[in-house]
Amino acid sequence: MTHPESPPLTTILWAEGLTKTYPHARTPALASFSLSMGPGEIVGLLGPNGAGKTTAISLLTGLLAPDSGSVHICGADLFKYPRKARQWIGLVPQHIALYPSLTAAENLSYFGRMYRINGRELKDRIKACLEIVGLSNSAHGRIGAFSGGMKRRANLAIALLHQPRLLFLDEPTAGVDPQSRNMILDRLIELSRSGVSMLYTTHYIEEAEKICSRIAVIDEGRTLAHGSPGELTQAHPDCNDLGQLFLRLTGKDLRD
Amino acid sequence: MQPFLATLFKELRLLYRDRSGLLVLFIMPAVLVVVVSLVQENVLKATGAARMDILFIDQDRQTFGKLIGEQLEALDSVTLVTSLDGQVIDTDQARVLVDKGRYQVCIVVPAGITEAVRTRAVEQISDAFSGGSREAALPLPYVSVYFDPLVQGAFRSSLLNALKQMLLAMEMEIKAKALTESLPVQFQQTLSALADRIPLDPATIPKVQMDPGWGSRRLMDVVAEQSRLKKLPTSVQQNVSAWSVFGIFFIVLPLGGAIIRERKDGTLARLRTLPVPYITLLVGKLGAYVIVCWVQFLFIVLMGKAGLPLLGTPVLSLGSDTTALIVTVTMVALAACGYGLMLGTLARTLEQATMFGAVSVVCAAALGGIMVPVYVMPPVMQTISLFSPLAWGLNALVEISVREGTLGSVQHELLYLTAFFAVTMAIAWTRFGRFDRQSET
Repeated sequence: MTHPESPPLTTILWAEGLTKTYPHARTPALASFSLSMGPGEIVGLLGPNGAGKTTAISLLTGLLAPDSGSVHICGADLFKYPRKARQWIGLVPQHIALYPSLTAAENLSYFGRMYRINGRELKDRIKACLEIVGLSNSAHGRIGAFSGGMKRRANLAIALLHQPRLLFLDEPTAGVDPQSRNMILDRLIELSRSGVSMLYTTHYIEEAEKICSRIAVIDEGRTLAHGSPGELTQAHPDCNDLGQLFLRLTGKDLRD
Repeated sequence: MQPFLATLFKELRLLYRDRSGLLVLFIMPAVLVVVVSLVQENVLKATGAARMDILFIDQDRQTFGKLIGEQLEALDSVTLVTSLDGQVIDTDQARVLVDKGRYQVCIVVPAGITEAVRTRAVEQISDAFSGGSREAALPLPYVSVYFDPLVQGAFRSSLLNALKQMLLAMEMEIKAKALTESLPVQFQQTLSALADRIPLDPATIPKVQMDPGWGSRRLMDVVAEQSRLKKLPTSVQQNVSAWSVFGIFFIVLPLGGAIIRERKDGTLARLRTLPVPYITLLVGKLGAYVIVCWVQFLFIVLMGKAGLPLLGTPVLSLGSDTTALIVTVTMVALAACGYGLMLGTLARTLEQATMFGAVSVVCAAALGGIMVPVYVMPPVMQTISLFSPLAWGLNALVEISVREGTLGSVQHELLYLTAFFAVTMAIAWTRFGRFDRQSET
């Protein structure tokens, strides 16, 4: 995929000191979170339930206002110039954020128009996005009648429609079969090669290992480790793999 | 059996844990019962009594005028209004006020009725004894009653009957008095004629003759006068206005539900990451639902114009000011949609939104005069009804369609609807648009 009017940037996402404490909470959901991402990078955000992953994504996409800290996307301050910054981002939420009574094509068309894409271009992009996620034959099927895997893929397609430079993927493979998961991961790697940066949260460590160039492990709102999978395992020689490292960093206690 | 019981207990547990939903489930029907019962209280009373301001013009200023006034005043359900802003009301002014619906009833006691009734009583008693009849030559004095054309038939009959009974009681008194005065004279005349025949033979004593029909001859009457409105309102006009407003406000259910679904399934989060101000999305949503309201209204109008006449009702007329009608329907639709948006942002679950939405609209409709005219409600409810957006919409539509109202004559209602829309939108906007307000400069 190409990026029309893309500025030649080396830093796609630059976030510094993001802190957020929810009302009535004693501890921050996210504390002093910093991250920078270059073009085509896939950064995995790993953490147990309640670690602050979704809060991080909400802050980085402007869904939540931080107590402190700043976010720049393709050079634009997200909280000062939200419209300018948002044109470069795509969000794949944890839930299937689609209209179930609309068809896949109708859902794509609606969100495309929200990005002011019209006419022939919109049709071409819808076709291309559905091809990417393997839903070309189901373009006119209602989302409500789709299987879980198809819904997940349609969820991804919407986020690709406006050709974002930065994708936020919040557990995009949760609850899908291995075939759909494999396809989604393959497509994400292809997108990364074409220059799309991604922040990826998941509970599947092997997924992160497979596609992420860097991984940040967070827990209780704090960043515990950050680096490439190789760097992380090298820094902890007693851990054989990322799975062990994850448990070492976050503990084995069950999370409520 | 086990799966059934397990399911039963699971559902009960879920309901129990949705405290807000449960509260809505129990509180709202209770509110509905209280509101509708209070609203209908007077309607269902056998007396039909409702506290009502009645314009009373006493042109007679003699015994009867005062007596009628006093007797009306003695009724618990009536407050007589004899002057406005310190000025005595004249008949023309009163008729205008009644035609405009500011007052529902005006009673005019004509000048000279006391004298006319007394004369008539004396003549009737005289005729009764003499066997003559001046009945046809004498016009029957009457008390005029002017009704707001929208006052229901049952209420009119009830009031007219009450007035007739009141006048009948007064007539009985007058007739009894006339008879008391006349009988000794009759006896004296009869006895005088027999004075030279004493001692009297009982068989030859003539009987005092009296027409038995005397008792039923009226001394005065009550007449319901015709309205001066060019076109009298029809039930179709009133029902189309009332139920279209009610129907439009039911848009809160799908609209509130849609907002909650978007919140729950994450679509809202996705929408908020779009490079589009959220107000644009809200306005788009609003526009779609306003169109639905309009289609709904036009469908009801079509029924009134084409469907109902096939069943023998008059053809619906919506007044002559199309602009006022369009503005009013649009404002009613906007107010309803604003309420739906607010509900969608405030309610936590779909159940809360649908339950609260439905019951609140039914309550506002009951209070707003959709089901029962406001003027028959108890005074407290009449005061509360002033705050019902459905009442504003209904009053404006009735004013335009029935009383040939214009934009000027419904300006207050439009202003209230606009304010309601603005407040509900502001609440919805505050809940949703927190981040979009930090927009680019």
